[in-house]
Amino acid sequence: MPTVLKVEGLKKSYGRKEALRGIDFEIQTGEIFALIGPNGAGKTTTLRIVSTLLTPSGGKVTFLGHDLKKEPEKIRENISYLPEEAGAYRNLKGRNYLKFMANFYAETREKAEEIVKRAEAIAELGSALDDKVGTYSKGMVRKLLLARALMTKPAMTILDEPTSGLDVINSLEVREIIKKFAKEGISVLLSSHNMLEIEFLSDRVALIDKGLILDAGTSQGLKDKYQAPNLEVVFRSALR
Amino acid sequence: MKKFTNLLLKEIRDLVNKQLIISLLMMMAIFYFIGVMAKTEMKKAAGTQKISVMDLDQSDLSRGLAGSLKTANFEIEWSQGKDPEAAVQAAKQGDTYLLLVIPQGFGESIVRLEPKEISTYTFLRSFSIGGIRKSEILKAVITATNAYLSNDVLKKKVPDVPPDILRSPIKSKDYVIVKDRMAEGSASAISGMVYSQSVIIPIILFMIIMYSSQMVISAIAMEKQNKTLETLLTVPIPRTAIATTKMLAAGIVGLLSAAIYMIGMKSYMGGMMGNIRANASMNAVIKQLGLTLTGNGYVLLGIALFFAILCGLAMATILGVLAEDFRSAQTLMLPLMLMILIPYLLSFFADVNSLPLPVRLLILAIPFSHPFLATPNIMLGHYSAVLYGILYMAVVFFVLVFIAARIFSTDRVLTMKLRWGKKKVVF
Repeated sequence: MPTVLKVEGLKKSYGRKEALRGIDFEIQTGEIFALIGPNGAGKTTTLRIVSTLLTPSGGKVTFLGHDLKKEPEKIRENISYLPEEAGAYRNLKGRNYLKFMANFYAETREKAEEIVKRAEAIAELGSALDDKVGTYSKGMVRKLLLARALMTKPAMTILDEPTSGLDVINSLEVREIIKKFAKEGISVLLSSHNMLEIEFLSDRVALIDKGLILDAGTSQGLKDKYQAPNLEVVFRSALR
Repeated sequence: MKKFTNLLLKEIRDLVNKQLIISLLMMMAIFYFIGVMAKTEMKKAAGTQKISVMDLDQSDLSRGLAGSLKTANFEIEWSQGKDPEAAVQAAKQGDTYLLLVIPQGFGESIVRLEPKEISTYTFLRSFSIGGIRKSEILKAVITATNAYLSNDVLKKKVPDVPPDILRSPIKSKDYVIVKDRMAEGSASAISGMVYSQSVIIPIILFMIIMYSSQMVISAIAMEKQNKTLETLLTVPIPRTAIATTKMLAAGIVGLLSAAIYMIGMKSYMGGMMGNIRANASMNAVIKQLGLTLTGNGYVLLGIALFFAILCGLAMATILGVLAEDFRSAQTLMLPLMLMILIPYLLSFFADVNSLPLPVRLLILAIPFSHPFLATPNIMLGHYSAVLYGILYMAVVFFVLVFIAARIFSTDRVLTMKLRWGKKKVVF
């Protein structure tokens, strides 16, 4: 499988505070790669750097051969990012929000319509798409945003706590959508506190703490290595 | 360009919401209503006035005075009885604003040149301009009657000399000079008239600058509060375009709103000033002195306003980035508001050129001072001052845009947050 994303010695400081102290990982086409770690470990900072929101203080990030520092615009054309607490424009109707976002990626009106149709199928919000986003429940907003992130079929989607705050049913639906799109060749970089979700979704997992990757591998591989019944125990063992 | 238009249209749609349209329409309606009311009041003041008159003298002279009141468009309501106190009580009960009491022996006392005092009572039932004008008209009638009577006496005493020369031996003609133009007229009257005609301009300037700055700072703060900014920053559009579209949309909507406000204000001011016919000759003097805004003057004022709006938008963009949410954005408007408010208030009460040098420099350093100073400077022909002001604002604008662009193209757009003067970073 060809490598989509290559992260080498990534560092990030906020003043004197070192959020990332040199992390390395790679993601292949269609692979779901998960970052797990406690609050303040550096997960969101990593995701924000890869999504071009933040500039790294050191190291190198290459996406589809484009250097993140030199060509962030090229990277933005091929990725999508779903922040943990993202929102959509409350005064826009769901469908209009999708149209607005599609217009940044589509060259023609036909192409934009095709993208929106795909988003409608992903979101499964039916007639609610004609209502204003301000009237949506948290689950509906999350589905809309996930549809926005996947509708353009980006080379990679970056999902920060994709099921955060969702109920069981909505969480299951979101996970299934992610899995389905990964099978179609979209790479996924995600972070989550939910170890069950990570085990269900990810092909490989990186354990991150204090700005460093402690270990990485498949869920099963890590469980075997640390002789742990689940990823929670794996993480605790890795911290020791 | 397609992406830029897509974003710009979204920004305009965000700003032009139901609340904005309703508030603009309401404002128009309020201005129009006040204008109509003011017009009616002014018409009333200029029309027939009611006056109660108690004539205890019943002489030719007292009747002559009453006749002068009729000529001055007063409708006389004769007060019966012999007691001025009763006349006051009666007038108080009615709807008249004025009462004139002519004492017994008034005519004779004038002939003897030992004049008895007449009494005028004004019932201050409101502070409206119309109410005040009524007593002014009565005073004018008494002054005219005084002139008539004194002329009469003087003619009898010194028949060979015109009474006017006896009363005012020193004749004067007042001239006002503005640059190379000169016209006959009173400086205070001309200044008053120019002030009343241009008083609307700083109000409009204030509203446009405040309004557009408020919109852009709120737009950025709302993006942060609704957590939409991060997503927007990862779409394939240059970061500078995000800042530019916000400024442009606020500028367009700000100008449109100002135009609507202006129509409403014009109707209001038209109501206030429209009926004063005496202004016609004064207007001619003002035109003769060039104290009006010509086409070129309006263009210069427009350019000054345009750059002031741009400075306001750029400054608001930077402040918007510092805001955490909509509420903190309102607090961050304070420095901007002060910078607009200071020259705005000064434009009403002071001449910047007469201020001490350090204060003057401070005022001139505020970019928003220049559109407020532009109107008097254009009228007085100080074009270089206006052009320097525009140049200064252009420099300030480019510096601010550079700073705003730098902020938007770096992490600072997400990490800068102002909390009581501390810079806070987000992990």
